[in-house]
Amino acid sequence: MIPDPNFGWTSTVGEVVLGATQSDGGTRSRSYRIGGGTTLPFMEKTNASPSPLVAFEICDDSRFWSPIVNEFCGDLIHDPGAWAKTAETTYGADLVRLCLTSTRQRDFSDILSLGKTVETVLGSTTLPLIIEGSNEPKIDSEVFLKCGETGQGERLLLGTAEAGRYRSIAAAALAYNHSIIAQSPIDINLAKQLDILLKEIGVPKDHIVIDPYTGALGYGFEYSYSAMERIRFSALKGDADLAMPMICSPSDSLTVKEVREADSKERNAVAVEWEFATSLAAAIAGAEIVCVRHPDTVKRLKTAFAGLKTRSGA
Amino acid sequence: MALKALDIYKLLPKKNCKECGDPTCLTFAMKLAAGKADVDLCPYLDENAKSVLGATTRPPIKLVKLGVGERSFAVGEEFVLYRHDKTFYHPPGIMFKVSDTDSEEKIMAVTARVRDETLTRVGTDLKFNGVAIVNTSGTVEAYTKAVAAVEKTAGLPEVLVSDNIAALTAALVLCGSYHPLICAATPENYRQMCALAKQHGCRLVVRAPSLDALLQLTKDCVSEGVTNLVVDPSPRTLGDFVTRSTMIRQLAISRAVPDLGYPVYLDAIKFDDEDAAIALGIVKYASVIVTSPLPPASAKAALTLRQNIYTDPQKPIQMNPGLYRIGTPGKDAPVLMTVNFSLTFFTLQGYLESSRIPCFMLIVDTEGLSVLTAVAAGKLNESLVRDAIKKFGIENEVTHRKLIIPGYSAPLSGRIEEATGWKVLVGPRDAAEIGDYLQQEWKP
Repeated sequence: MIPDPNFGWTSTVGEVVLGATQSDGGTRSRSYRIGGGTTLPFMEKTNASPSPLVAFEICDDSRFWSPIVNEFCGDLIHDPGAWAKTAETTYGADLVRLCLTSTRQRDFSDILSLGKTVETVLGSTTLPLIIEGSNEPKIDSEVFLKCGETGQGERLLLGTAEAGRYRSIAAAALAYNHSIIAQSPIDINLAKQLDILLKEIGVPKDHIVIDPYTGALGYGFEYSYSAMERIRFSALKGDADLAMPMICSPSDSLTVKEVREADSKERNAVAVEWEFATSLAAAIAGAEIVCVRHPDTVKRLKTAFAGLKTRSGA
Repeated sequence: MALKALDIYKLLPKKNCKECGDPTCLTFAMKLAAGKADVDLCPYLDENAKSVLGATTRPPIKLVKLGVGERSFAVGEEFVLYRHDKTFYHPPGIMFKVSDTDSEEKIMAVTARVRDETLTRVGTDLKFNGVAIVNTSGTVEAYTKAVAAVEKTAGLPEVLVSDNIAALTAALVLCGSYHPLICAATPENYRQMCALAKQHGCRLVVRAPSLDALLQLTKDCVSEGVTNLVVDPSPRTLGDFVTRSTMIRQLAISRAVPDLGYPVYLDAIKFDDEDAAIALGIVKYASVIVTSPLPPASAKAALTLRQNIYTDPQKPIQMNPGLYRIGTPGKDAPVLMTVNFSLTFFTLQGYLESSRIPCFMLIVDTEGLSVLTAVAAGKLNESLVRDAIKKFGIENEVTHRKLIIPGYSAPLSGRIEEATGWKVLVGPRDAAEIGDYLQQEWKP
């Protein structure tokens, strides 16, 4: 008889809840408990840990978005509500990630409009939401508070905290009971450092999702892949400061040379392949959430994850 | 239990004949003890010594070579479960399938594509590795014709896929001496398959529906005298593949089940999404992957993923320091300085090319570190930049004295100005913004 391989794990990945249904004081049709893994991804004997989730990313200002996606999605890109709804009903996403790209305009100050956008999206989709706030430290505080307040009770996932820039987002998360994404530049030690900083200002462990930063396929993805494997490994070996679920967002995939310079007939296919290969490999390395921008990538990932969760039993 | 070098030495012939490639029996023993050599390299070992040394001394995953000549490749001889523990050494061979029911033109076209298609990335040529010829017809005639069509097109490594012993026998007359991989030995046919493999010195795929059955079958094949094995745990789902392949790797490298220590075979064609199977094969320890001829987008993604995962994580890929040109830059073209980490180089180069502004890239030697790391570690500093400006003769190339430096090296701008006498402009942190930056900011 073949023995079970002994990996020497002593601990498990922590859990984070995303989204709140009516019974939990929110309006989402479902909520997810992510994390909880006890061994390498997809090696679980039972179905204790869920399939990775696929988040579809939308934005509120398509000038700052991939032209490939803009062309593919058509008029939807001007209507975040309708886009979010399509992500749920047509694309088949598990989560919607709203990127508030309008904050990237020079001297942006219309915080009220952000609140309205968040409200519209919450009203248009029943999926749990990830909200990606400002790109400008000066307005972080107002932006995150507005998002947090508008989504009160919905257990949002707010992004993105970085080492030099985490107080505003943490404050909003703590005030309104949301979770946050903690991003570090492809380095396990920096990831751990940021988690400790967040812990010190009172963000509970079960409200943190690690983003080790995803280099695009062909542009440093191998570093991200290994950083994710090492974080998972450390969590399973008992390092509590790294025992959080991970999120992977290969958004750089759509700007790489291979995609930009593909000929027009092939560009969609290359974009999808690039997102797909990166996300699938990231899930194998330990990502519990993968974020994509091309609608065609969503179904392929969902099918592949279903295949990964299926054993023929022989 | 692993043996010590001296214990192993006692079992060796002590002739110092050098036929194993090592200067003495003692150095060979030391390699065996470290798992870095195969017992079979010694031609004078008696059966008793072999069985004592056996699987405990050879590398935990056996090295198996496929094909002959320039395009032959080796798989196996891996030591770790995670690339960050050391590195993965032997990238999987990706083999395009042809069927003996395809037309001769099609078979030749696929073979020629594998022979010729090259993707050049980060200064390396990436290629697919060989052809898997499937005996779909079940007949001997069609199969030998198909094998002949591949043979006359290219000298590539081959996988011969058939359960018809007569068809394989006939095909091996054509290509048997080129170390093809024959596919597959099963509990039912392994004696005949082993006989064929032995007769021609072929490599052999061993296929069984469970790891227990696979272990038994590899032992059976070894006792028939065939050791160049590749194991197919016959996954029916992607989850089967990942769990079984990971178990094989872990049980082999920990030497818990040394007899499973062979490279893994993956038939991606069985899966609805072949791209998914290929990607999982690449990250999770497959060594030979058979796939349909891939459409261009899938082909690029597969080759790129394989290159990424098999990059040695211990050494950053480096570019040669120097002056590189984008387009045909004139005397007033911008000069952009950056580090010699190849990823930085190729990313910046890509964005500069698409900006269509001719310019110079001054690549300085930070030993392959990225900008951020090089600044933090002090590897990127003003004297390095000053020396590079002199060494690569930029002063003769441009009439202005303005140097654009990466956004993350902004803290060095004052010191670089002092050391070089050039005016320093701080560029963006993100290479993606370089086109806009040059358009808005650059004046010679």
